[in-house]
Amino acid sequence: MEQSKFIYQRKDLPKQVELTGYALVLLGFLLGAVSYFAEPVRASMNYLIMFIYLLSIGLGSIFLVAIEYLTGADWSVQFRRISEFFASVFVILVLLVLPLLFNMNNIFNWMNKQFVETDSILKGKTSYLNSTFFIIRVAFCFCIWGLFYFLLQKNSTRQDETKEQLLTTKNIKLSAGFIPLFAITLTIAAVDWLMSLDAHWYSTIFGVYFFAGSVVASLAAVTFTAIKLKEKGYLHPAFTNEQLYSLGTLLFVFINFWAYIAFSQYMLIWYADLPEETIWFMHRWQYGWSYVSLFLILTHFVVPYAVLLSQPSKMDPKRLKFITLWILGAHLVDVFWIVMPNTTGPVISWMDFIFPFAIIGVLIVVFSYKVKRNNLIPIGDPKLQKSIKISL
Amino acid sequence: MEIDYSIELPLVEGRPTLADIDRVIARPMETKPSKKYFIALGITVTMLLAGAVCLGLTLFYGIGMWGNNQPVGWGLGIVNFVFWVGIGHAGTLISAVLFLLRQKWRTGIARFAEAMTIFAVMCAGIFPLIHTGRPWLAGYLFPYPNQHGLWVNFTSPLLWDVFAVSTYLTVSFVFWYIGLIPDFATMRDRTTAKIRKTVYSIFSLGWRHSHRNWQHYEKAYMILAGFATPLVLSVHTIVSFDFAVSIMPGWHATIFPPYFVAGAIFSGFAMVVTVLVFVRKVFDLEHIITIDHLEKMNKVILATGMLVGYAYAMEFFIAWYSGQEVERFVFINRAFGPYAWAYWIMVSCNVLFPQLFWSKKVRRSVPVMMVIVILVNVGMWFERFVITVTSLHRDFLPSSWGYYKPTLVDFGILLGSFGLFFTLVLLFTRALPVVSISEIKAVVDGAQPSHHGE
Amino acid sequence: MNEPKLHSLAALFNTPDEIIHAAEKVSGTGYEKFDVHTPYPLHGMDKAMKLKPSKLGYITLAFGLSGAACALLLMYWTMSVDYPLIISGKPFFALPAFIPITFELTVLLATLSTIIAMLTFFFKFPDNANPLHDTAYMKAVSSDKYGICIYADDKMFNLTETKELLSSLHAFSVSEIYFPAEEKYPVLQPKFLIFLVIIALVTSSATYLTLNKALYVVPFDWMMKQAKLIPQSQSDTFADKYGMRKPVEGTVARNFVPYEYKDQLQQPEKPLENPLLPTKEALELGKKKFLTFCSPCHGNYAEGDSRLNGQFPNPPTLHSNKVRNWKDGNIYHVITNGQNIMPSYASQVTREERWAIIHYIRVLQKAKNASEAEVLLSKKESSSNGTK
Repeated sequence: MEQSKFIYQRKDLPKQVELTGYALVLLGFLLGAVSYFAEPVRASMNYLIMFIYLLSIGLGSIFLVAIEYLTGADWSVQFRRISEFFASVFVILVLLVLPLLFNMNNIFNWMNKQFVETDSILKGKTSYLNSTFFIIRVAFCFCIWGLFYFLLQKNSTRQDETKEQLLTTKNIKLSAGFIPLFAITLTIAAVDWLMSLDAHWYSTIFGVYFFAGSVVASLAAVTFTAIKLKEKGYLHPAFTNEQLYSLGTLLFVFINFWAYIAFSQYMLIWYADLPEETIWFMHRWQYGWSYVSLFLILTHFVVPYAVLLSQPSKMDPKRLKFITLWILGAHLVDVFWIVMPNTTGPVISWMDFIFPFAIIGVLIVVFSYKVKRNNLIPIGDPKLQKSIKISL
Repeated sequence: MEIDYSIELPLVEGRPTLADIDRVIARPMETKPSKKYFIALGITVTMLLAGAVCLGLTLFYGIGMWGNNQPVGWGLGIVNFVFWVGIGHAGTLISAVLFLLRQKWRTGIARFAEAMTIFAVMCAGIFPLIHTGRPWLAGYLFPYPNQHGLWVNFTSPLLWDVFAVSTYLTVSFVFWYIGLIPDFATMRDRTTAKIRKTVYSIFSLGWRHSHRNWQHYEKAYMILAGFATPLVLSVHTIVSFDFAVSIMPGWHATIFPPYFVAGAIFSGFAMVVTVLVFVRKVFDLEHIITIDHLEKMNKVILATGMLVGYAYAMEFFIAWYSGQEVERFVFINRAFGPYAWAYWIMVSCNVLFPQLFWSKKVRRSVPVMMVIVILVNVGMWFERFVITVTSLHRDFLPSSWGYYKPTLVDFGILLGSFGLFFTLVLLFTRALPVVSISEIKAVVDGAQPSHHGE
Repeated sequence: MNEPKLHSLAALFNTPDEIIHAAEKVSGTGYEKFDVHTPYPLHGMDKAMKLKPSKLGYITLAFGLSGAACALLLMYWTMSVDYPLIISGKPFFALPAFIPITFELTVLLATLSTIIAMLTFFFKFPDNANPLHDTAYMKAVSSDKYGICIYADDKMFNLTETKELLSSLHAFSVSEIYFPAEEKYPVLQPKFLIFLVIIALVTSSATYLTLNKALYVVPFDWMMKQAKLIPQSQSDTFADKYGMRKPVEGTVARNFVPYEYKDQLQQPEKPLENPLLPTKEALELGKKKFLTFCSPCHGNYAEGDSRLNGQFPNPPTLHSNKVRNWKDGNIYHVITNGQNIMPSYASQVTREERWAIIHYIRVLQKAKNASEAEVLLSKKESSSNGTK
């Protein structure tokens, strides 16, 4: 289909959407503060869940951008900006991490020096698990992510005006250099924030597991946003269902990848039956947590697999909208399942439903802010024409 | 070098006509082989015979001819098995995964890669058979109702291997054969020799190039590719389970499945590059299997090499973090113990040398890339060796520690497996089209209609 | 059968655009029984020919699910029902351990079924007898030309009109394809029959050789051939070839305690002392054994009045002064060694039982030879503890 000249005009997101975002953020944090005074430990954990969720969206999004540059993919160029906008959540995360850093005592048992004295295993890890080194690592990770995000989106934005091909080359080189650092920093973040919650336990695949969840969640977020924006006319009219197919396929593939990693981790620990490893899964099976574990398998694997299996499903906007929101919810269950069993107390509490509102709010706020200031389509990208022409 | 990202690079250089493609690809099958071919075949067959002799000795005298002993009960047998299965994975990855990712540059190399997969898996399958000592009893590996009233142990990863490798061999073979059907038809219609015509007619099953058939064919191809992808991941994952389900220090790490898969792709691509560099030169296929192809494969080698490096680092870190004395010791022993020489070969060949592929010049230079990919193959063999042997030779009880030395028979069989592989590759190049004729015709410039049905 | 029957009209084209256009035109005109032949699949041809989407995926799904179900059923039955074994402490139905094989069999069945269904059901292969084979049309279409072929049995087919239509579409060649003159029934051709015989031979010999020769293992008899000596068989260890050996000189049976006066005819100077106390149990035992072993000769009350009385020599009474004055050890000596015609009862009565018998004999002796005072005493004792 030959495209008559398409002139892109930048449009803001509707005012209600933005206001809803702000309202959710406000509601989330206010009620969150209340919950902190009610039960500081649980509230801190919920805050951590929110932080990790947003971090995973940020990491997954930046990964999608980098991988697009590295592989030279054409089809995703027209909605690359959506991933870039979601990646800007890193800026907010720098702020959001501060309450966590001041509240580490409520979260990590290795912060308690007396407790560590009595525990020989934790004592052996104090060279790594101590607050100073922890904060240094956090800072290091944020520097790497922030630097790359900043440089990447600077080049990408500049290309809208100058249309220089050289900027694509620069971003490719940047992405190539970033990916190894991404792997290292993501692993550090996963080990520090999530694995050390149960500091006796260890699993070499944990970084990969967190990576898989992050990519699934980001893909779901990007797909949902792309469909929604397309419906409201924000994207190029040549963005048809056939191009959604690639996103649907990737989503299907990464759901399977997540399940594969999760199963590997579980089965190997189950098979060897070593108490120091099985304890983590025992915590997620006893005292009612078994329901959450089974619920996780159902929501994060069985349902998305069944819905996305057939070829037409992967292209159908309605089904994709449903399943992407579903997957975003499942990712929350995943993060909850990793973090919360480290507390004693009931499986579910009223506090657990507060911070998720803040998650939605932050994402909406961040996205609408970026839409105001940047083009939703990378109009200067040399591969844009190829991207629009791609069909099955 | 200025790159223009807005244009699509041609997949086949020089705009050959469809008849040209037929001619070029069919030539090795229609002409007599050169002297160089016979010399090469002579070398590989000699290697194969050496292996056959060693295998015969093993079957006659028993596994005592190998170096296996306490404490290293698994020696070169399993190392060679994992090595060859890993090499097989690149083929399926190129033909199936790149197909699903719509990377059209795979067409020039897909057929060859699939053939390599099948040959590699055949080489791999030899080892589990012969290491049992009585390979003629291999039928008992399958759950057939036998007169002993016994069943196989379905919870054992060794049995999962049986199912996985059998399935992988079957599916790869079927996938390869399906791709060959249109080419057999083309060969059938080209040839005038009666015997050849009969053979091609039988194997092409009567393919008529009918579009009604192409429609189902394409769907089946996509379904097969869609299944082959998770199959490839599952096979090497199951191979990794052989080690990871145990409690041996150095083996029981949850990262083994993706680590082994990345390593398989790594070694497999290295072998593909090794073989393709020769093939494209010898058979004048340099405009179909281009430097661009090789460069892309080298990028994949770099990426997977770094994944392998990540796994090394993660294992090492967690060994320290876990506080497990035995686990910590295994890693120190790997680097500084009696097998340190093997360990440092592994690290340098797998992590250090592939870093040269960061440079575009290196990626596009055939002599340099040959050296690097051969080193990668060596490094990956040593990785399997280091994993298997270092964990076994010094595990929990110091009184049981020992040193494993493979015997000449062990090495002879390894040499024989290379001989088998390369012999099959050489025979393949003369018997079957090394590039998929129909697929390459479909991606030449001007092959597809200018307006697609929308 | 002399007139060759027309199969189809086949037209060849030079470019992909031409064939797409031709296909659209032909299907648009209303022809249904036609086909397009290209050396490789062309994009958009499905739509041009108005083809319905392929249903192959449903077969894959059905067989894939059956593969999974069969795998789980197989493992459940073999590992949890037929021959359950506790392996590594895992449950009989160890689902995490069953997942890998389930996955593999799902993939295997799904792919094989897809291919077999496609080849046999959708394509009806092998089919080397199609009239299009070995024509110039097929040669062209195999290599670098694109062709369209309208079958003669289509309801709209008319030789001249269809030819005109095809030429108008810029076909550079239009040819008529005929069925081969002779009808050859594939099943009866000698080549095919030989092929069937070969298949039968190969299959049966392969099955026989595998199951009866290669896989033949005698059901676990290696415990039957043991290096130990089987009773009553010959032995190569000993010079005389006998497997059964006499016990070595000085071999003693278990629990054997030697009697130092064994085989000594006269009474010992120092007879053994009775180690048993005359408890109620000992006396009960003694009575029982006496009645079993001693009474047949010596009588129920040891008076020598059994039915052997009157024969020569008489079994003596045990109430004689000699026996009454004997020590317990003397009686023991007689029971153990025998005396005159009385054999040794050592093999029938254990040492403990002999002492118990001796206590009982003493009871009998006392009963027949008690003093007045002793009788009175015993009466008093019985009335005080309530027994008679």
